Amino acid sequence: MTQEISIKKNSNGKIGAVMVLGAGVAGIQASLDLADMGYKVYLVENKPSIGGAMAQLDKTFPTNDCAMCLLSPKLVDTARHPNIEIITNADLHKLDGEAGNFTAIIDKRPRYIDEEKCTGCGTCTNNCPVRNIAHFEDVDELGKVHLSQEDQQVIEQILAGHESERAAVISVLQDINARYRYLPEDILRHTAKALDIPLSRVYSIATFYNSFSLVPRGKYVVRVCMGTACHVKGGYQILQALERMLKIASGGTTEDNLFSLEEVRCLGCCGLAPVITVNEDLYGSVKQAKLPKILERYQDESVVAESTVGGTE
Amino acid sequence: MIVQPEGIFYQMLTVENIPNLVEEHLVKGRPVDKLMYVPSKGKPPIPKLSDIAFFSKQRLVVLKNRGLIDPEKIDEYIARDGYQALAKALTSMDSEQVIEQVKGSGLRGRGGAGFSTGLKWELTRKSSGNGKYIICNADEGDPGAFMDRSIIESDPHSVLEGMVIGAYAIGAAEGCIYIREEYPLATKRLHIAIDQAREYGLLGEDILGSGFSFDITVHRGAGAFVCGEETSLIGSLQGQTPEPRIRPPFPAQSGLWGKPTNINNVETWANIPTIINRGAEWFASIGTESSKGTKVFSVVGKVNNTGLVEVPMGMTMREIVFDIGGGIPGGKKFKAVQTGGPSGGCIPESLVDLPIDYERLMEVGSIMGSGGLIVMDEETCMVDVARYFLDFLRSESCGKCTTCREGIAAMHDIVADICNGKGEPENIGLLEELAEAIKDASLCALGGTAPNPVLSTLRYFRDEYDAHIKDKKCPAGVCRALISYRIDPEKCKGCMLCGKHCPEKAIGGEPKGPQTIDLEKCIKCGVCRESCKFEAVLIE
Repeated sequence: MTQEISIKKNSNGKIGAVMVLGAGVAGIQASLDLADMGYKVYLVENKPSIGGAMAQLDKTFPTNDCAMCLLSPKLVDTARHPNIEIITNADLHKLDGEAGNFTAIIDKRPRYIDEEKCTGCGTCTNNCPVRNIAHFEDVDELGKVHLSQEDQQVIEQILAGHESERAAVISVLQDINARYRYLPEDILRHTAKALDIPLSRVYSIATFYNSFSLVPRGKYVVRVCMGTACHVKGGYQILQALERMLKIASGGTTEDNLFSLEEVRCLGCCGLAPVITVNEDLYGSVKQAKLPKILERYQDESVVAESTVGGTE
Repeated sequence: MIVQPEGIFYQMLTVENIPNLVEEHLVKGRPVDKLMYVPSKGKPPIPKLSDIAFFSKQRLVVLKNRGLIDPEKIDEYIARDGYQALAKALTSMDSEQVIEQVKGSGLRGRGGAGFSTGLKWELTRKSSGNGKYIICNADEGDPGAFMDRSIIESDPHSVLEGMVIGAYAIGAAEGCIYIREEYPLATKRLHIAIDQAREYGLLGEDILGSGFSFDITVHRGAGAFVCGEETSLIGSLQGQTPEPRIRPPFPAQSGLWGKPTNINNVETWANIPTIINRGAEWFASIGTESSKGTKVFSVVGKVNNTGLVEVPMGMTMREIVFDIGGGIPGGKKFKAVQTGGPSGGCIPESLVDLPIDYERLMEVGSIMGSGGLIVMDEETCMVDVARYFLDFLRSESCGKCTTCREGIAAMHDIVADICNGKGEPENIGLLEELAEAIKDASLCALGGTAPNPVLSTLRYFRDEYDAHIKDKKCPAGVCRALISYRIDPEKCKGCMLCGKHCPEKAIGGEPKGPQTIDLEKCIKCGVCRESCKFEAVLIE
């Protein structure tokens, strides 16, 4: 259905009506203020109902006030205000004109019910045989989990080890991280399902902590300590020198997947500053000039390791 | 190596030294002078450990077992009066008496804020509800501080014993230790210690036959500075994203899983057994009026003797840096001491005679923090230090409060501009304004104290900011955009070592002749200066 809004002009040539796009708390407040000033307001909202994000919140920051207590009087006022016309489930199709005189064309999606008659009693929802239609994205449908048999075994073993814990998710992620050196997506999806928590929460934890990575890391993780003592003794210069030598930026991995370069907040070996670690090995009082020797040690080993499994050039 | 009973101390030994040492000292009884500690060149060696200033000025309470026991053997801890305090508390004291002792000792939280430990225990004890928890905060996030790691690695049972006593006093049945994942050895030793304590009946059901039961689990962090904040630590233990929440309710009323929870840091817990053993009065006799006992500091940075030192509260910064720390290496000039990690501030040379306790540090714009003392000399740029801390806090802010998330980033960009020679005089006012906003409107201590490094450097080192902004110079020779390297032809011997290491091949010259740096090619990495044996590379 396409609705065309056009309003008669005032004597000064301007239109006495306003269209507000988006019926979140900002749009609602704006509509109420404008309507109180005597303007006719068309409040257009893309979603089936007004209220926006705030209607989904429990508390507001920073005062911890109840979100609904603030919002619901405004919702009621908006619906009842004689100067406000709410147009939900709609998109702005076209906007022509100039300041003071616009013509807007709005596409309104069908609701399959008669809005004029509906009292919002909710009986239809209760009686509908299909549940949860299209309100939330379904994790299962979004990304099917594909795990190899080996991965399956590994993750089952990890999960079994934390069965008794009340909040196992961080420990499970740490074990996955220790095993794979990063957090593979499919395994995270599996973990979310197995622990019965939303994938979004697994993701928020996986991206919050410094020790987790969502991209594969190299065989050797070179970590440069960025503690204060290391900083005043030239830790940053060491980091930059490593970036030059490995030709990667901090946080990156070399093309051959041999080295990853990371910063660590403080390793707590401040007496030995500046400090770097390569996997489990710790090097103290590091100098730029010593770095090539340190890296060489791991490069050589990799050559040996590869040649024993018959690797190619 | 120490040879007992004389207590003669030998240092920097290699395998080759040992036959000589055994032959001379152990067999013939003639101590070997040349392997002893020499305070500075030309001075006579000091044979006894107890006479060396680094050790003689210290007073060991928390670190009393450091290096003397095998931390993986509970028997060695017990042999040094370990678990005696626990037995005393469980058999001859009721929980109120234990809390009275801790209160009377004047012990204050060693994690940073310095809240009275006894009072905290009492609050948790008085909170209604069962299933109380105690937590040991071993998420030692302050860069430059490592006493908690060292305590756990060298004497894990002292922490466990403190926790069991605390649990008894508070009425908690479960305890957690939240430890940084950067400390694998400490984590391993904790597990060993807990297993041994369980085996000996010092943890678990019916401890020492007293009917009191208590057990401890270990949780590893995953690298987030904000987890040191108690409400976010609890969030992390509950498997959530560790964002701090509003207090009240304080953890003492509603903490882990909504139960009353008492959180103390490692060093605080490790103080408890000695307080119970030797009494509140003994502990209160050490230290200053408001700050009792000893404090472990990690003396690091530009100082001769780096390491952990435990000294009575009220010792001056001068004694710690110059007597214990042995002063600044290379005869350089002392500039400042940074305390309190990213929440703290820099204390300038003019205040070096300040006795260290919680209040005095607060007065000069810093905090005690967990006890990291980073010594800075004339070659440390204070603007760069401020930038460093802002960079740290910018990436460690959890992002919940806008002022902290955006404000610190804005301050960082301004200070980084100043370091890069793009500073304007009006920047300073803007920094101060932002600092106020961040302090006022951030929820937790991370944001509330985040501007401290900038404010304290502005307060004491305004001239350095001015030099960066007005003269576009970095007096300390650190900020790369404002310096250039030059080789002093007088001092250069033409060894060509610098040219060998230069990544850009920017150094040229004849062998044995003076070298020169091509400033077009130079990326100012400083490797030439670092590798020069004749101090011929100058910063201008």
